[in-house]
Amino acid sequence: MNLKRLTPIAIGAAFAMALGLGTTAAQAQKKISILTWNIPYFEEGMNQWKEMFKKSHPDVTIEWLDKKGTEFSTFYQTQVVAGTAPDIIDVQGGLWLEYASQGGLLDLTPYLKRDKAFTDGLYPEVVNGWVFEGKNYGVPFYISKTLLFYNKLMLKEAGLTNPPATFDQLMDYAAKMTKGEKSGFMTLNFDWLYWPIFAENGIDLLTPDLKKAAFNTPKAVALVEKLAKATKDGVINKISWTGRWVEPNGAFAAGTIGMLNAHAPAYLWFKSKGPWVNEDTVGAADFPGRWSTPNSHAFLISKGTKHPEEAWEFVKMISSGDGAYVFGTGSNNLTGDKAANSRLMKYFAEKIPVVVPVLETQLKHLDKLTGNWPIAKDAQVKEAFYPELQAALLGDKSAKEALDEAEKKVNRVLTRR
Amino acid sequence: MAFAIRRKRTRELLLIWFFLAPSLLIFLLYRIIPLLWNGVLSFEFWSPYKPAEFAGLYHYEEMLLYDDVFWQAFWNTAIFMASAPIGILIALLVAILVDTPIRGRNVYRTIVFMSYPVMTVAVGIIWQWLYNEKVGLFNYVLVSLGIVEQGIPFLETASLALPAVIVASIWQVLGFYMIILLTGLQNIQPSLYEAAAIDGANAWMRFRRITLPLLRPSIFLCFVIGIINSFTNFDLIYVMTDGGPSHATELLVTYIYRVAFKLAQFDYAAALTIVNFLFFVFLAWLANRLAGGEVGAVETG
Repeated sequence: MNLKRLTPIAIGAAFAMALGLGTTAAQAQKKISILTWNIPYFEEGMNQWKEMFKKSHPDVTIEWLDKKGTEFSTFYQTQVVAGTAPDIIDVQGGLWLEYASQGGLLDLTPYLKRDKAFTDGLYPEVVNGWVFEGKNYGVPFYISKTLLFYNKLMLKEAGLTNPPATFDQLMDYAAKMTKGEKSGFMTLNFDWLYWPIFAENGIDLLTPDLKKAAFNTPKAVALVEKLAKATKDGVINKISWTGRWVEPNGAFAAGTIGMLNAHAPAYLWFKSKGPWVNEDTVGAADFPGRWSTPNSHAFLISKGTKHPEEAWEFVKMISSGDGAYVFGTGSNNLTGDKAANSRLMKYFAEKIPVVVPVLETQLKHLDKLTGNWPIAKDAQVKEAFYPELQAALLGDKSAKEALDEAEKKVNRVLTRR
Repeated sequence: MAFAIRRKRTRELLLIWFFLAPSLLIFLLYRIIPLLWNGVLSFEFWSPYKPAEFAGLYHYEEMLLYDDVFWQAFWNTAIFMASAPIGILIALLVAILVDTPIRGRNVYRTIVFMSYPVMTVAVGIIWQWLYNEKVGLFNYVLVSLGIVEQGIPFLETASLALPAVIVASIWQVLGFYMIILLTGLQNIQPSLYEAAAIDGANAWMRFRRITLPLLRPSIFLCFVIGIINSFTNFDLIYVMTDGGPSHATELLVTYIYRVAFKLAQFDYAAALTIVNFLFFVFLAWLANRLAGGEVGAVETG
């Protein structure tokens, strides 16, 4: 046999075998990607999740991607266009409604029905927040909703003892706390977080069938006028209507704001900026009327996933039991899983007792969630409504004029293609 | 003989194309194709999840007839652009001042220029605090001097927000304008001023008849930079006001971003981009005409 002729054949055969083996290995190994919303600090927990999942699914590799809220939608949408959408996404707010309405997400209703034991362990009110046109698209990841933080020192200084129980009391207390550079009240305004103010005053954004604007009423005009006057007088800090979340939370951390309507995670944020913040100086209460706007996160699965079963199994694992507990302890949040939360509350009571009063508000009054409308054009409605409201609150337009204009714009958004 | 010349010419042309090809390829991939795709997209109903449908002029009709925010962003962009001469004028005055033989002029030049290399995000945050109604430096000075009783909410008032952002933008680019104009000033032969002085021209006449005409290319360059700046000043607006309050500081570029990535309306954003592009092309053409119509032309022969 001629060795010179055999060598290339042997090399070719070895190469072909290697290629074949490689392909088989690649086929056997499935990859699931998960895109999370601004939790870069969770690397250790993510590794724990991966290890836990590897035990039951040795053939699946998990790839973790994390983006800040400001980059999230840009990144996800470009990945969808490129045909490489992450299998699982963690979203907040109304962003997902646009994706769901266009058929970009996997309907999880059959999965939730099938795995009843898992579903029963979740809070039904929170699960229902992820329903669009009768189909469920999300599994609760962590629970967050608005509450009223109050500066106990300012409250005391104003001669008050308890946080307000009604909206009129809220405005009255805020006025009493306002002095010099100090303002009585402030709210976050993104993702409809200010809507408890409107809900408490009996104002609906849309008609029950979600087809028309319903907010332009004499009651709403009166409320906006009242809020605008309080803003002009400095009782409500203007940053309420202009800042996003850093500025209002930063202002509260500076100790010059009496009461702040914000979501629970704001607490540890402003505590880290304000060394004076502790259980003796800052209190947590329900907003008057016990209204709150959810700002919870959920896991959703992209319709284009190649491994829906594995993606679902992973979502189930990380949003319940030990998986949820790992996240709760790693991020100081409560999850959508009841059993995990019981363990977490014990953990917080022992390790970070200061957050317990804040987190306790998150599990109560889930029947009074507001500012959460299942409409595909949530973002567009928000964009049509808020700038007009903002103009009135900052005194650039009359309340009537602004609400008339907002009504016209919202109705146009709801009727156009 | 003629054949040899032709061959030489062909070789030269091939060489030119060879060197140009990489740049042209990048230009084609990252500019021309996206622009054409954008044009097509603007006549479609498109989403990342569904097949495109022909929309005709739907988006353009929506934009021109119903979308108040588009018109507001359009006029804001025009105002932002129109503010460029103010910055250039201030920079010219500063350049003339630091061009005079005064002691420590290099220090002054450095101080003025220092604003330019600062990251735009940092500029936005600094100016946001300067304008703060309760603890901002400007309001502190105004209240301390008794000019106002209460702080002015510069960035929270619709009528003041855009001028406030423009001032921050001018401050940032002032140092750069100054360097360009200073270079222009230093290229003017001192003998021209000496001759004019001997002929009895006073300082104003020397400025008007010598400095200004010879500075024209530098001023034109500053103006072009100012126009580009007004179309691309995304980061400053994003940090300082996010286009608010009530779209008072919305520029076309911030509005396009908002529509595409916050509202997920890529097709409508494409139509906005086309209008933005046409507006920009018109301005470039106008500026070229005003500059004599030969800007960028290569002299041959």
